[in-house]
Amino acid sequence: MNDILLHVGFGHFLVLAAVLFAIGVAGVLLRRNALIVMMSIELMLNAANITIVTFARMHHDLNGLSFALIVIAVAAAEIAVGLAILIAVFRGRRHVDVDRLNTLKY
Amino acid sequence: MRAFLIVLALALGFGGVAIADEIPPARAGAPTVAPPGAPGVDGTLAPAVVKAPKDRDRTEGKGTGMALLFWACALGTVGGAIFVITRRNMIAAVMGMVGTFIAVAALYMMLYAHFLAVIQMLVYAGAIMVLFVFVIMVLNRPEDEPWALTGLPGKALAGLAMLYLTFRLGQTVWSVKADANALAAPAAVTVTLGKKVDPVTRAISQDTESYHWGSTGAVGKSLFHDYLFPFEAISILLLAAVVGAIAVARPWKDEDSPDDLNEDVPSEVVS
Repeated sequence: MNDILLHVGFGHFLVLAAVLFAIGVAGVLLRRNALIVMMSIELMLNAANITIVTFARMHHDLNGLSFALIVIAVAAAEIAVGLAILIAVFRGRRHVDVDRLNTLKY
Repeated sequence: MRAFLIVLALALGFGGVAIADEIPPARAGAPTVAPPGAPGVDGTLAPAVVKAPKDRDRTEGKGTGMALLFWACALGTVGGAIFVITRRNMIAAVMGMVGTFIAVAALYMMLYAHFLAVIQMLVYAGAIMVLFVFVIMVLNRPEDEPWALTGLPGKALAGLAMLYLTFRLGQTVWSVKADANALAAPAAVTVTLGKKVDPVTRAISQDTESYHWGSTGAVGKSLFHDYLFPFEAISILLLAAVVGAIAVARPWKDEDSPDDLNEDVPSEVVS
């Protein structure tokens, strides 16, 4: 127990990333506000990034860092477009409740 | 929630102070270096010499401060994430997300991905947070009570703790002697290796690979040598995202179907 607490290794980072990803999944599945859903997606992307960087460090491989950088850029682009869509939806319907945005279903 | 924040701040503070207390002996790696006149001094590198920096380099740090800092960052990450998915107040959720991002940046630092940590702070904790806050401001009604004067003692305490931590940080930073050789680029350090350099510089330069692993130069080299096409593709993607975001979020003109979103929506109460 003491060993786990005091000797921080790569496994700690991986487990932390897994926990963060799980929390993000829970947020996407449970919350109905589209903004919170997008924040949860960000959390999941961050968890993936932690995993990438941890493995990159583990293998002393710099390519992982480039990949993480690209993930960050894609996340930024995704958030920009997603929030723009949210604003457009909100302008039309005055809410961003993902459970009520079901017009495409029919 | 306040108790959680206080515990987090305390853990971060103690971890940081413990790390700061651990650094000077390692930084004064000179004492552990072979004494002047020993066989290794005239430029040849004695491997046993750099014990202290090597030990600090490993992620599996045995230091208590390192472990404490990791657990504080883990607490910040998970706590912030739970904050995001449990709060009803969306500004609070965004603040939890920012805490998560900052803690993740600290984790990158622990993994020696310095450049990525800075990018994380700039892009996530800076730009994306501002984007979210702006959208929340657009979507939400103004608050009834914009100023929160409750809990002033806690804020004063937090301010004092912040001052103390800043002071310790400044103390640590100022206590490090700036050495021209140590601050030079890795190549320059390598060049001076053959000559007689002081032990600290040698210890640092011997550890060059580890210290410069996640630096801007190293990542840039990888990015512009091996990943040039993805890099350029990202620029195209960002351009498309900017144009798309403006096109989508632009107010509807009167001539192009102003209310078509409202047509087949069952009339719902404005929330």
